[in-house]
Amino acid sequence: MLGRITREAERLTINGSGIQGVQSLTASYNSVARPVSNLGINSIQYYPEGPQQATLEVNTLLTHFLPVPNELSSYKSRDPMQNYTGTLPFSGVVDHGSKKFYFTEGYLETYSATCAIGQIPQSSTSSVIYGNFGTGAQFDSWEQTSQTPTSLNVTSYGSMEINLDTFVTNRVNSFNVNIATPRLPIYAIGNDEPTGVIAGTPIEVNVNFEIEPDDYEIKNMRLIPDETVFKNTVITLKKNNSHDILLKYSFDDMLLTSESFSANNDSNARINFNLRSFILR
Amino acid sequence: MARIFYDKAPVEIQALGTNFRETLIATDCSINFNNSQSPIYSVGKKGPIGQFPSAARVGDISFNFLTTITGEFQNIVGIGVTSERNGNIINYLADAIKNSTDSEASGVIIKCANVSGVGFLSSYSFNATANSISSSSAAFTLFGSGSDLPVSGRLSGVSAGVAVGTSVTTGIAHGRYTTMPSTLNTKLYDDTSAQNPAVATIYSADYSISFNHNPIYKIGQEFPVTTFYTNASESINVSEDLFNSGLKYDETAASYNLELKGLSPTANPMLLRITDAKQINTSASVGLDDIIRTQKTLTAAY
Repeated sequence: MLGRITREAERLTINGSGIQGVQSLTASYNSVARPVSNLGINSIQYYPEGPQQATLEVNTLLTHFLPVPNELSSYKSRDPMQNYTGTLPFSGVVDHGSKKFYFTEGYLETYSATCAIGQIPQSSTSSVIYGNFGTGAQFDSWEQTSQTPTSLNVTSYGSMEINLDTFVTNRVNSFNVNIATPRLPIYAIGNDEPTGVIAGTPIEVNVNFEIEPDDYEIKNMRLIPDETVFKNTVITLKKNNSHDILLKYSFDDMLLTSESFSANNDSNARINFNLRSFILR
Repeated sequence: MARIFYDKAPVEIQALGTNFRETLIATDCSINFNNSQSPIYSVGKKGPIGQFPSAARVGDISFNFLTTITGEFQNIVGIGVTSERNGNIINYLADAIKNSTDSEASGVIIKCANVSGVGFLSSYSFNATANSISSSSAAFTLFGSGSDLPVSGRLSGVSAGVAVGTSVTTGIAHGRYTTMPSTLNTKLYDDTSAQNPAVATIYSADYSISFNHNPIYKIGQEFPVTTFYTNASESINVSEDLFNSGLKYDETAASYNLELKGLSPTANPMLLRITDAKQINTSASVGLDDIIRTQKTLTAAY
């Protein structure tokens, strides 16, 4: 009665594997109920209009990783969530106290990794649930499949590498990698779940950096062949105080799409810039 | 002054000589009354002698409505109780006319905000799309009869009372629960896997039927003495994902039973039977960020 549920009683499990280092989690749905409106209206009744979908947003510290994948592994990235940027769906359950709710056929729509000085790198994901969501009879016989568990490997800002020639002489304050993976659900008549979910293409990748410049030079805004800048970007996350590589984000031929210079009377000059590229599946 | 809000303008249909009467879940309604006048010119006069009636006055009423099935919506009077007659009164009317063996038509009374007339169904259509509620359209032609005007009455509000409580409607057809007959799906065979055809998925279906009526006029009377039903043409446009490049010069005719269902899994569906339909068209189109979708059109005549 009027109790409260705190973080130790909350848990997210995806495809049979507990997600560790969760900082925040939001799961929601809309019923898509619309009231009937007609000439001579004399009562309010509801009907569903449009596909019924739910969303799941998860923010985790990059502290737990899968084992190094080999040829037989069913995954490619050591970050469990990054593996769902492809075509695979996932299912899961959220425990809160003695209650739990379920979701099936989730597809990742955005994946981002961020880090700033003094922080442990974090990943954020948002997913759309095309299957079922919640509780009820649909989940009575539902069982999760087991998956390879993760182990503790804390990353840190002090042991990462950023391979971008700009950073040899200019200090990096923070970065943000954002991967958008479009999905196209195909709904057929007579079904409330899609008959298939197409992994859309291209995948859009945006990488944002904030630097405190020394000799960095703002580029030209005109999109002309001689002045437009393309760069290769590699961000390597390593285990804290070690050379064990845990994650590597590598993108070629990224287009410099924006630069923002800011000056303030109580801080160093800063430049934010964005690199953008597209990956065809 | 007639200032009538939409909640006092229900659309009601009543079949003449029967107890079948239904207030449709109409989302709009338009009423037209036309008086045809032609100028008459003569030699020796530049301007017309005057304008004179060139045809009898006729009206038409058209409206869109949600595809209601027998039962649980407001105070709808359902159409019959047998599986052959579930559905709204317009579907029943279309079914009765196209299968009619009697040429003389009786028409139905259509009312909206106290304006009414006796009309003959000229077209009826509905759609069924994945995850969407089904909507229908109907249009009537009003010829009048004997000394009765095609359209009569003065606009005034009609109160249907206010029901208490809210609920989830179960009596409106919905694409989530509607299934098309399996024979309607396009199947493609090849030489190597004749037993395992590629079967198309149906994403939506649009149905329509149009009727021709022939009013019989006599000298000495503006409005017809009677009206005959002559013929009807029916078509269904199906959206799929298989392109049938093997469309035959003389396609085989087939009949289909469409069953439109609402949110109640146990309620009887609205039945519509398309008899001896032939495919007359197939097309494919694709746009950005979508799959290739195909369309096929089947037609039937009555």
